[in-house]
Amino acid sequence: MTDLASMKPDTLRSVRELFGIDSDLQVPAFSQQNDYVPEVDEAYRFNPDVTLAILAGFTRNRRVMVQGLHGTGKSTHIEQIAARLNWPCMRVNLDGHISRLDLVGKDAIVVRNGVQVTEFQEGIVPWSLQRPVALIFDEYDAGRPDVMFVIQRILERDGHFSLLDQNRVIHPHPYFRLFSTANTVGLGNMSGLYQGAQVLNHAQIDRWNIVAKLDYLSAEEEAAIVLSRVPSKDTAQGHELVAAMVSVANLTRKGFAAGDISTLMSPRTVITWAENCEIFRDPALAFRLSFLNKCDATERQTVAEYYQRCFGQELDEARFME
Amino acid sequence: MSSNVQQQARRQQQVEALCAAAIRALSGRSDLHFRGKQLYQGEHRLPMYAPHHRIDTAVAPFADCRAAADGMALRLLYSDAELHRKSCPEKPVARLVFELLEQLRVETQVPAHLPGMTANLEQRFSRWSLEFHRSGQTESSSGLLIYTIAQMSWSRLNARQVLEETEDLIESTRFSLASSMGLALAGLRHHRHDQVAFIPHAQAVAKLVDETLESWQEGEDGSNHERQDDDDDAQQNFALLLDFDQEGDDERFASARSGTSKALGESRQGYTVYTTAYDREVVASDLVRKAQLEEFRQRLDTGIAEQGINVPRLARQLAAILATPQYDGWQYGEEEGRIDGRRLAQLVSSPTERRLFYQDRQRPVADCMVTLLVDCSGSMRHQSESVAMLADCLIRALDIAGGRSELLGFTTNAWNGGKPYQEWMRQGRPPAPGRLNEVCHLVFKEADRGWRRSRRDIAAMLKGNLFREGVDGEAVDWACSRLLAREEQRKILIVISDGSPSDTATNLTNDAYYLDNHLKTVLARQERQGEIDILGLGVGLDLSPFYRHSLATDMSQALDNHLFDEIVQLIAQRIHRS
Repeated sequence: MTDLASMKPDTLRSVRELFGIDSDLQVPAFSQQNDYVPEVDEAYRFNPDVTLAILAGFTRNRRVMVQGLHGTGKSTHIEQIAARLNWPCMRVNLDGHISRLDLVGKDAIVVRNGVQVTEFQEGIVPWSLQRPVALIFDEYDAGRPDVMFVIQRILERDGHFSLLDQNRVIHPHPYFRLFSTANTVGLGNMSGLYQGAQVLNHAQIDRWNIVAKLDYLSAEEEAAIVLSRVPSKDTAQGHELVAAMVSVANLTRKGFAAGDISTLMSPRTVITWAENCEIFRDPALAFRLSFLNKCDATERQTVAEYYQRCFGQELDEARFME
Repeated sequence: MSSNVQQQARRQQQVEALCAAAIRALSGRSDLHFRGKQLYQGEHRLPMYAPHHRIDTAVAPFADCRAAADGMALRLLYSDAELHRKSCPEKPVARLVFELLEQLRVETQVPAHLPGMTANLEQRFSRWSLEFHRSGQTESSSGLLIYTIAQMSWSRLNARQVLEETEDLIESTRFSLASSMGLALAGLRHHRHDQVAFIPHAQAVAKLVDETLESWQEGEDGSNHERQDDDDDAQQNFALLLDFDQEGDDERFASARSGTSKALGESRQGYTVYTTAYDREVVASDLVRKAQLEEFRQRLDTGIAEQGINVPRLARQLAAILATPQYDGWQYGEEEGRIDGRRLAQLVSSPTERRLFYQDRQRPVADCMVTLLVDCSGSMRHQSESVAMLADCLIRALDIAGGRSELLGFTTNAWNGGKPYQEWMRQGRPPAPGRLNEVCHLVFKEADRGWRRSRRDIAAMLKGNLFREGVDGEAVDWACSRLLAREEQRKILIVISDGSPSDTATNLTNDAYYLDNHLKTVLARQERQGEIDILGLGVGLDLSPFYRHSLATDMSQALDNHLFDEIVQLIAQRIHRS
């Protein structure tokens, strides 16, 4: 691990081969794995546009922000690309309580040679900055905007980072990369879905070179993901069931967009539902337990209508069943 | 108004809400809603002319409403309305057939992943067929012809067998049509995925039906008149099918009646008022003796106590939808946060004390104003006690939740036109005089007086002789202008009414829908401006022909928490969607 700082990408890999995307692009990659490289999930499906945006981040050193609704697999998307490139990766979950000290580093008391000494310990930002690491700020819009100014300088491509506590200037490693994921585009919680999302400073949003939008996948792709996660459904009957499940999910998304319901099914919910089907052996019961009970009581009838359209069966919540 | 009718109105509203939600989700268009049993996109009516989906949402079984909703969604998704309109034949019969065929075409386009929708549509078609057949409409030759065409096209388009029960019945007609329609039918099936290529074939079928019927008619006119008398009923039903631009104003059901006003449409100045000299705006409690007001208040209090309404709960619900958290000062004595310098001395004296910090404080602030505008027309007199109780509870809850509220009413000073009418008579009855009565706008409770201070004033609503006639449009305008003058950010107007605007003198001297259309204009204008959320609360009546967001309530029975839940939901929906 000592030589992490001296590592650099040493091979070129074909995008077509790695991600199954129709492109002649070659991307730099590490030939050797290390502890910081995430594990490869063979079932993962790459969205072509977002993959190319993230790859631009890796190859051309661009700052990429991935924005999308919850459960679309934003962070996983970056991680899986890093995994296939063998690129070391650090994921930091931001929340309203992360402070400047957590990110930059702080003085801590350590025992050295039996004596207590105060020593500066680097935070995650200076540590990553000096290594060929892809740093992912997860839930970027949950961080307090005033604290996030810490990273203002390093959002520039060759931005140096001054450690005020030590009068030291850190030059970023040429293979340091920075990514972020967010539910909103920094305008705050407009839809009512993301309590706690902050209104971000647009001087900072402006510094992200690429903003990729990861929306929900097409019905076929989503069904394929569900099937790869729940392999036991990979039968003719299972395919039909999963297709119906995905179309319920799509109706809830459209219903949400129209303002009829205030919850929607993410791909993650569909996977959970499929898994719960395995446990309860009854799609309707599994649906109730995985999603319906999360809905407001008044909205369940509407969701029951969606369910009827896709399954041709009534839920107990349905109204007017004479 | 019997409670049965009211329940029907309530059911209709729920059915429409569910159907509209389904259509919105299926078609992905968010501006669809029902108004007076008709689907609207924004301000435009989306008619459903295909005979098997012409249902009445108030009485039809829910499964049929569902199928109609599905049919509508498919129509929106897979049919180009403009193209359809352009290629539509003009003659009524041909048009009916053309509409039917286009609807049957889109119904073959159900996406594979929506099997429930396929089932809904299929069941509806066979149910409609049976109803049509059993109501005796197939006994007339024209009815049978349309029926056969519908069955043949449906069976061909879906590659399914025709309905078994009527297979023998249509056999001969089917056989006679087979040669002339064969080509067109094959075309229908072949081009069902392509509207442009489908149209000529549909037009051909429509033309064929039209010509056949015409030739029969000519033959009939010459010979047997008795036969025509026989199927008079069937003829009438058939005429109903052809009636395309019917407005949903069927009197049997509790829907507000509406139509088009000629006087208003033709008038160059739009809505006019004959004279405003006698109009007034009064504080309602000034019209009632003090002692009587006290008595009314007592009656109201007893009434409310009997209803068992949970006002604190209502207040919490209202606060949840109306209030938004805002940073408001600091909260001291916390166990974490920023260090409060003033407490450091305390730390020195008692080191175990941990509450040394302070934090941002968030408080829910309901920056909103709700105006209740009550229709004080004669018919509302019987409901006045319920309405007063409802208003009182809402106002009290809003007070607790931190919102502002205003209680207004509208009526007239006199019956049958009063002084303006006499003046108009003296002037020699000039035509189209406009609104012809003295309106009276009542202020029961002002926004800046709390519930506690205006308790007695609210009770003035129980005074029966305030209730006369109603000019809704002007009253809504008046309430809106009062709301707009307020600085609260969110403005909500709830109109409580039991009917369309009514003023005998105005209706007689202009026409029946003069005030009615003015109300619509006012509401459409306010909706466009979008500063105020207007909600209609129908007392035993569906107000959806007027109000885009409305609720039919049943006030003949005791008020209950359920009713308030629904009102809260109505407000919440409006906010959610805006």
